Amino acid sequence: MNSSLKLARADKWNQSDILFCVARPNDSDRLFVGSSDFGVYEFDLSAEKPERVRLEGEQHQSYVTGLAVAGPMLISGSYDGQLIWWDLAEQRSTRVVPAHDRWIRRVIASPDQTRIISVADDMLCKVWDVATGELLTQFSDHGEKTPHHYPSMLYAVAASPDGRFLATGDRVGHVAIWNADSYEKVGEVETPVMYTWDPRQRRHSIGGIRSLAFSADGTQLAVGGMGKVGNIDHLGGPSRLEVFEWSSGTRRFEVEDDKKKGLIEQIVWHPSGDWLLGAGGDHKGFLNIYDMHSGELVTQESSDGHVHGLVADAALENLVTAGHNRLERWTIAAG
Amino acid sequence: MKRKAWCGSADHPVSRRGFLGAAAAGTAFAADMTVLDALKQPALAEELKWQQKRVILLWLAGGASQLETWDPKPGVETGGPFRTIQTTVPGLHISELLPQQSERMQQTAVIRSLNTKIADHGGGYRLMETGRLPEPGVAFPHLGAILARELGRIDSHVPDHVSMYTSTEGRRKGTAGFLGARYNPMFLTENMMPENIRRLEAISEADHQDRAALRDFFAERFSRTVDSAAVASHGTAYERVRGLMASDRLFDISEEPQAMRDKYGPTQFGEQCLIARRLVEAGVPFVKVARAWWDSHGQNFETHRELCADLDHCMSALMDDLADRGLLENTLVITLGEFGRTPRINGSLGRDHFARAWSCTLTGCGIKGGAVYGKTDDKGETVVDGEIGAADLFATIFAAVGIDYEKEYMLGSRPIPIADFGATPVEEVLA
Repeated sequence: MNSSLKLARADKWNQSDILFCVARPNDSDRLFVGSSDFGVYEFDLSAEKPERVRLEGEQHQSYVTGLAVAGPMLISGSYDGQLIWWDLAEQRSTRVVPAHDRWIRRVIASPDQTRIISVADDMLCKVWDVATGELLTQFSDHGEKTPHHYPSMLYAVAASPDGRFLATGDRVGHVAIWNADSYEKVGEVETPVMYTWDPRQRRHSIGGIRSLAFSADGTQLAVGGMGKVGNIDHLGGPSRLEVFEWSSGTRRFEVEDDKKKGLIEQIVWHPSGDWLLGAGGDHKGFLNIYDMHSGELVTQESSDGHVHGLVADAALENLVTAGHNRLERWTIAAG
Repeated sequence: MKRKAWCGSADHPVSRRGFLGAAAAGTAFAADMTVLDALKQPALAEELKWQQKRVILLWLAGGASQLETWDPKPGVETGGPFRTIQTTVPGLHISELLPQQSERMQQTAVIRSLNTKIADHGGGYRLMETGRLPEPGVAFPHLGAILARELGRIDSHVPDHVSMYTSTEGRRKGTAGFLGARYNPMFLTENMMPENIRRLEAISEADHQDRAALRDFFAERFSRTVDSAAVASHGTAYERVRGLMASDRLFDISEEPQAMRDKYGPTQFGEQCLIARRLVEAGVPFVKVARAWWDSHGQNFETHRELCADLDHCMSALMDDLADRGLLENTLVITLGEFGRTPRINGSLGRDHFARAWSCTLTGCGIKGGAVYGKTDDKGETVVDGEIGAADLFATIFAAVGIDYEKEYMLGSRPIPIADFGATPVEEVLA
C-alpha cells in the first residue's frame, strides 16, 4: 500500500445530540443519520451550512442505531426493536415493522439491495424483504447469556461485497459466518480478548465485537472492538483489530493501539484490499488506517467525539463520520 | 410528627432494656416463665415484635443510575434509550430494565428526591452509611451498627451485623464507631463462609463439648454464690461465641433445596441474597449485600442492562422468599448506593457521579408499598418536590423498623441523635 496516506478533516458540523448511524444513497450529497432524540434526519451536504430535516411520519421510540439504503428506501432500526421504512423521495415513513424483542444494534442492506439484515440483543439475525417488509428468515449462533450469566448482546453484522456471505459478532467475541443464500453457518472465529469480564474488582463486563467487514474478495474478515480493559468503568482499553482468513480460521493480524483508546465501531476495506479504515473511540474519537500487508497501524487522526457511524464513497477517498455531538467530513489521499 | 418507635410513655411502662435485662438474667429467657408471662403485657409484646425486625441493605456500590432504575425519563435528552414499564401500582412507571420489580411495586416505596450533594465515592459512602457528615474526632457508627444495636438481642446466638462485599472496588468494611467493636460487621469478602469461627482442628468436637460443659458447671455454681451482672454477662458472652461458631451453617447455601437456589439464580449476588434470607430468618438483624460496581462512566446503558438484570432477578427472588416465609412484613429491604448518576450522557455513552437528584427504595417492614415520594424535573437534573437528605432517609429507615429516630446516644457528655439533628422521616412512605 501507499504508506503515506493522509487522513484530513474537511468539515465539522456540531450537533446537540448523539448520532449513532449514517447512510448515504449512492455517493450523493444526501446524508441520513439516526439520532439519540429518536429521529432520523437528512442533511444536504451540498449546502454551505447543511441544515438537518427530520423525516416525518411514524417515529422510533428510542435511539436510532441502524440505517441502510436500499433503492428508493431508507430502513432504520432502533433500540425500540422496530424497523421503519422511509421513502427517500417523500421523506416520510411508509412501514413500521416490530422486528426484534430487544435493542436493534445494526441494520445493513444486502449488496443487491433486495434484503435488509438486522441484528439485535435478542441474539437473532433477521433477514427482511425490502419490497414487502416480510421476514424471510432468522438465525443465530449466539448465546443469550454470557458465560457469567448476564445478558449477552449481538452488535455487529456484515455482508461480503459479492453478497455470498454474512457475518455476525457478539459481546463475548464469537463470530459466525453464514451462507447468504441458505443461511447455513459456514464458519466461525473467536476473538475472546474483545470481551473483558472483571471477576474481582467490579464484577461486570465491557467490550464486545462492535464491527465486522469482509474484504473485497470476501476471503478475509476484519473484526473490531477493544482489547482487555483494566478499569471497566471507562472505555479505557486499547482499540483492537483482528483480521482472519475466515474459511480456515487463521488469524492474520491482531493490532492494538493504546494511543487512542476505545472501541472500533466501524471498519471499511479499501477495494484493493491493501488497507482498511477503522473508526471509533472512547470519550474522544479516532480514525485509524491499517496496512493489510504488514498488519500495522500506519495513519491515525483524532476526532473530538466518539465516532459511531461512518459512510464512505466506493474509492474510500471521501467519508463522513457521525458521532457524539458531531458530524464530520474527511478525506483520505496520498500524502 | 408521626412516631413509629416505642415511645417510653406511661402507657408502655416496660422499657426495652428492662426487658432485655430480665431476659438476659436467666440462663435463657425462654425458660423463665415469669418472663413469658410478662409478654402478655401489650407493651412488652410490641417490644418483642420490634425485636424481630430485620433490615437487608442491597448496597449498589459505585452508584446506580436513577434514570435506568427508579426514576426514568424516557424521551428527553437525558433520558437514555430505555423505555418505562407500567408497574402493578397505577401510574407508577419504572425502567424497563426491572420487569420483575415492576410486578412487585405494591410492596415497595420509591424515594425520588434524594439530594445528598456529595458526589465522590469516599464522601458519598461515608454520608450514606452514617447519615451525616463526618466530624473530626467522632467516629460515627454506620447504619448496620446502629441497627444491630437497636434491633439485636443481647443474648442472640447469631451475628448482629453481617456485611458481604466481594468485589474489591469501593470495598469498605464499615464501622460501629463509638458504639464499640461489639457492633462491627462480620465482614465477608473473599468467600461467603466466615473465617475464624470454626473449632480448632486440634480440639475434637467431644473435647469442645466437654470443655463447654465444664465451664457451664463452674459458672453455674459460681453464679449461685455471686449475684453479679458481670458474671451473667460473662456467661452470655460464652453463649454468644458458641452461637457464632454454630452459625457457619447459615452461610452454607448447599443446605437449601436446589429449587430454592434456582430461584435466586447462579450469580454471586443471587447467592448472597439467599444467604441474607437465611441470616435474617435465623434472627440476624442487619445484613448488607454489596453489589459492585455500578460506576458507569463508560457504556452506562450496557452496564445497567447487565447489572439491572442481576438486581431485578435477585431482589425479586429475595422479596418473594421473604414474603413466602412471612418475613417480609418484619424485614425492611433497602436499595441504596453512595449517589446516583448524571442526567447528562457523556462521550463514552456513560453517566458520571451525581448526588443532587437521585433515588432509593424501601420494601417491606413498616413501608407503604406502592408509595412514591418526591419528584425530579423533566430532565432529572434537580429535585422539584420533597427534597430529602441522608439524615431524613436514616430517620425514615429507623421509623420503619420501629426505632425512635430521635433517640440519642451519649458520647461522654455529648448527646448524639441516631439520625442527625433536624432529620425528619418521610411519613408518606411509612405504613
